[in-house]
Amino acid sequence: MKYVIIGAGVAGVEAAKVIRGQDPAGEILMVSVDTHIHSRCMLHKYIAGEREESGLDFTEKDFLNRYGVTWKNGVRAEKIRPETKEILLSNGETITYGKLLIASGADSFIPPVGELRKASNVYGLRNLSDAQAIVQEAREAQNVLVIGSGLVGLDAAYGLLERGKTITVVEMADRILPVQLDAHAAGAYQKAFEQAGTRFILSRKASQAACEADGKIHKVILDNGDEIACDLIIVAAGVRPALACLEGSGIAYDRAVTVDASMKTSAEHVYAAGDITGLSGIWPNAADQGRIAGKSMCGLPATYTDTYAMKNTINFFGLVTLCVGRVREEEGDESWVKEDHTQYKRILAKDGKVQGTLLQGDIAGAGIWQYLIKNQIDIRHIEKDIFDVSYADFYSVGEKGKYEWVS
Amino acid sequence: MKRILIEYEKCDGCKNCSAACMQAHRENPGTIYDLDLGDPKNESRNRILKDAKGQYKPLFCRHCDDPECVKSCMSGALYKDPESGHVLYDQTRCGSCFMCVMNCPFGVLKPDTVTKSKVIKCDFCADAGGDPSCVKSCPKKAIYVEEV
Repeated sequence: MKYVIIGAGVAGVEAAKVIRGQDPAGEILMVSVDTHIHSRCMLHKYIAGEREESGLDFTEKDFLNRYGVTWKNGVRAEKIRPETKEILLSNGETITYGKLLIASGADSFIPPVGELRKASNVYGLRNLSDAQAIVQEAREAQNVLVIGSGLVGLDAAYGLLERGKTITVVEMADRILPVQLDAHAAGAYQKAFEQAGTRFILSRKASQAACEADGKIHKVILDNGDEIACDLIIVAAGVRPALACLEGSGIAYDRAVTVDASMKTSAEHVYAAGDITGLSGIWPNAADQGRIAGKSMCGLPATYTDTYAMKNTINFFGLVTLCVGRVREEEGDESWVKEDHTQYKRILAKDGKVQGTLLQGDIAGAGIWQYLIKNQIDIRHIEKDIFDVSYADFYSVGEKGKYEWVS
Repeated sequence: MKRILIEYEKCDGCKNCSAACMQAHRENPGTIYDLDLGDPKNESRNRILKDAKGQYKPLFCRHCDDPECVKSCMSGALYKDPESGHVLYDQTRCGSCFMCVMNCPFGVLKPDTVTKSKVIKCDFCADAGGDPSCVKSCPKKAIYVEEV
């Protein structure tokens, strides 16, 4: 069997490992635009100069040889033709597949504001190639404008602060990290970034940006008329599944590729995993989807069931935060807050079931909260301070000393 | 693979296992008698939890067959060692994102208290020949190593 995997991110890599485990003799071909296998979660470390390209590789040593994977890199899959099981590549080559995994991820979304899409000094931060281009541009640029203060925006700000750049971050919401955090927890990061020299402009949008003679944008005008001077712009306004290769293929997609629980697309022998499915934007879930797809491609029964994706950890300047579940308080919620000079913790629960946990400063042993929230376990019977609830309250040692959850 | 088995009913909460773990992983050499228990750099990889009824529940890394921490690691720092079966941690690769902490369903993992740059994780006392210090220190034989 010939397996082709489009994409060299975690979904593709995990699929390849699973496939090799099931089919020792099969041919595995990985095709990617990326020329380095890299963890997108560590691009800020590259921009900051803390790591080289090779230090971003998340795979085990000698991954390609060990798993017998042939890797064509620096080429894009342009078109997929399921009827002939062919893929047209950007280098003009046509390759065939027996089973195909589309794990080509997502592209940065550059909003159609002014000439952001046209300018040569505007970058998303999604791929190592983006980070490389940003570092290159930053050699000349001093004033950096970051549009969006989600995790990617702050990654960019962090990395460029380390390079001594002057950073302004513009955010539409009234606080930074608006998806992940409440105002209090976001304020702590805002303060940390401000102390490092970042300026934040909240509740504002970029509204005008025109290229000058050098093809670059040197000022952005906000919706209140204020002008921000800049030589480099990072747009961190989200991503969109990289669907271009699916056009005309007949494979069903809308905003993302449609997959069933086995990660199969509407086309026979074609599977998808990772950000292109739009199911979740986070690493562990993409990895899991890759493994499920790999099994399915080998004819094993497998379903993607651990779909819970409302979870994040954040670590900037040594301030760590874990946020799982709902951040916004709703009517009928019970809430608990605990705060001292080292930590801020908040839990929201409804009818005895935790809906959201936000822990900042101290996240030791906090893995239980994801389990409690995603499984909606009633904890009313536990006669303890809610912040002291631990695995002890659900403890069981089963076969071969494995822990099991009992509630 | 060797795993530390637990009979929690025997645990009397003495925390000898935690002190032994701190001693085994301390930076500077010395004996348990000069181990600074108040130094936040000396952290135990195991914990004795207590449930609402006051029963002690020892929390030790299971080196799971299908480890959620490894599956959530975005840097390759956490890996299941094919020979020993143990879940090992390469601090030099760690990106300090702490998704492993978030994903361990038993709450075993934590970031280091002082620098928040590495994960405090049981290594089965690999540096001491793979004979866990906690087990040797348990006066109640509530924890013991077995091939599973």
